[in-house]
Amino acid sequence: MYLPFALAIGFLFAGAVYTLLRPNLIRLVVGFGLLSNAVNLLMIACGGYSVTNDAPFVVDADAVGGLMDPLPPDIVLTAIVISFAVGALFLTICYVVYRDYGIDNPEELPVPVADDDTFTPRPLPRRRAREE
Amino acid sequence: MNAVVLVILVPFFTAILLALLRDRPRLEKALSLASALGLTAYVFWLLHRVDTGGIQVTMLAGYPAPYGIAFVADRLACIMLCLSMTVGTVVLAYTCFTVTESQQRYFFYPFFHVLLLGVNWSFVTGDLFNLFVAYEVMLIGSYGSMMVGGTRQQVRQTMMYVALNLVGGALFVVGVALVYALVGTLNMADLAVRTAELTGPRAALLTAASMVLLLVFALKAATFPVFFWLPDSYPVVPAGVNGYFAGLLTKVGVYSLLRVFVMVFRQDGHALASEILLVLSGFTMLLGVLGAICQWEMRRILSWHIISQVGYMVMGIGLTADARLAPAAVAATIFYVVHHIIVKSSLFLVAGVAERVTGRTRITDMGGVVTLTPIVAGLFLIAALSLAGMPPFSGFLAKLVVLRVGLEGHRFWIVLIAVLTSFLTLLSMMKIWTYVFWGRSRRAVAAAPWRGPAVATATLVAATVALGLGAQPFLRLAGAAAEDVVTPTAYVRAVLGGHPSRLARRSDVP
Repeated sequence: MYLPFALAIGFLFAGAVYTLLRPNLIRLVVGFGLLSNAVNLLMIACGGYSVTNDAPFVVDADAVGGLMDPLPPDIVLTAIVISFAVGALFLTICYVVYRDYGIDNPEELPVPVADDDTFTPRPLPRRRAREE
Repeated sequence: MNAVVLVILVPFFTAILLALLRDRPRLEKALSLASALGLTAYVFWLLHRVDTGGIQVTMLAGYPAPYGIAFVADRLACIMLCLSMTVGTVVLAYTCFTVTESQQRYFFYPFFHVLLLGVNWSFVTGDLFNLFVAYEVMLIGSYGSMMVGGTRQQVRQTMMYVALNLVGGALFVVGVALVYALVGTLNMADLAVRTAELTGPRAALLTAASMVLLLVFALKAATFPVFFWLPDSYPVVPAGVNGYFAGLLTKVGVYSLLRVFVMVFRQDGHALASEILLVLSGFTMLLGVLGAICQWEMRRILSWHIISQVGYMVMGIGLTADARLAPAAVAATIFYVVHHIIVKSSLFLVAGVAERVTGRTRITDMGGVVTLTPIVAGLFLIAALSLAGMPPFSGFLAKLVVLRVGLEGHRFWIVLIAVLTSFLTLLSMMKIWTYVFWGRSRRAVAAAPWRGPAVATATLVAATVALGLGAQPFLRLAGAAAEDVVTPTAYVRAVLGGHPSRLARRSDVP
């Protein structure tokens, strides 16, 4: 049971790293999704998952031996919620960057220079890029 | 009453309430300040209580450890909580004067309270996975605070910051999963008991797995190979909140290193992590200060100094590699953290005031603050001399205690780097002083009202003077906190109730 699991985790990690390193904002978001799935699978694997173990609901009090560890799925649930929330935020931020700069390649974004006036704390008009 | 969990609940409900009060800006300010003040009083009371009466533990929903979720307030956690809330309150008072109407409409205060929530949570959690959750909550608060105002530059830097922290968060879960597979528990007290018994290949595996966590915490603390994100992202944070970012966020990483690598991982060969940290700290100090010297923007210079100063704290943690010196090294680190949080936050706040006075951010354009507003210049001078380590301010003592441990451990090379860094720090502080404060002002009056923020800043600057002149009680407290961390018998007894769990160790996991 470990080999297919290990392979799946490995492929997901490899895909995630490859996608994250592509110079494209959308791929950055997709790569993060893959990465969190890889991590969640790893967590399940570390909890000692195997097909022979039952779900961790103790119906028969004597059958504790053959049950799966309930903590890792619990942790994974929390991790899924967090990665969903942060992923949604990240997608929004990437969209706003695309809207403001009109570029979907993060490497082409202008270098932040030390004396860039946009660093000064001043209120900017909203949606300037599109309306002009 | 046993209510450690209040430090999380209060900011949580305040944030929700403030989000609902969006249309009542004055009420929002008053409520947010009142909530922070009340919680500050509570955490100081908690510190006193923990110092005299022992460690306080809250088990969520009453499930016993190690199964339930533990919130633990020991001396170290309480010291950090006091710092977090003190700086948080001062920053809130400061932003009452500086926040713009549009910033406030975009949930400036709710985000700040979420930030407080995450930081406080990561200090009191007694569970490795909850530390991850606390990190994520803190980060969401920091993304929000960073983007308030919504300029292009801010959104763009936030994107980088989010991307980096997403990878950091994923690695954190990897580390947690590996530790769980090897030890079978995530409760810190339980981990401390069980890892101490580990020897042989399993201990080596755990050391390898702990390196993932080392990378995560190093990323958060901005140490040597992974510090590049900090100087770009901090200057875009609105002034004021910037002070809280500079003071607390990287120090959460330092705190986690201290908690996890000194207290929790006690397996055979765990000193390897400290040895690695010691080497990293040398690079961190030197590269940080060299980066600061070649910058031309005030808050950017100060951002690079955060990196350099984190080097001193990580050096303190690295010196625990020698078990004999561990209590002294941890005590020195804790004292340094206290000093650093106060001084760094006040420097960022002064930088914000100086920017208000001159209306500029580049140091070559500023000039003459000393003729325009001598009080602001005086505040900067005290904080800067303290940062560089001049007596009688707290920076001198903090550096002294760290360097003394280094000398006792015969690590002369790191002491040499630390002293060199200290001189270079002074040099770059002189650069700010010469360009920003000295000389003749180009304007007759200040560009924006500055008195309110300056008063808020002055309270923090007064704290650094007090910390330098009356250091004895703080040093004693740091020493006691260090003893608790280095030999966590009291911590383990408080959390596990004297009966460390004896679950069958997992044998079905490779």
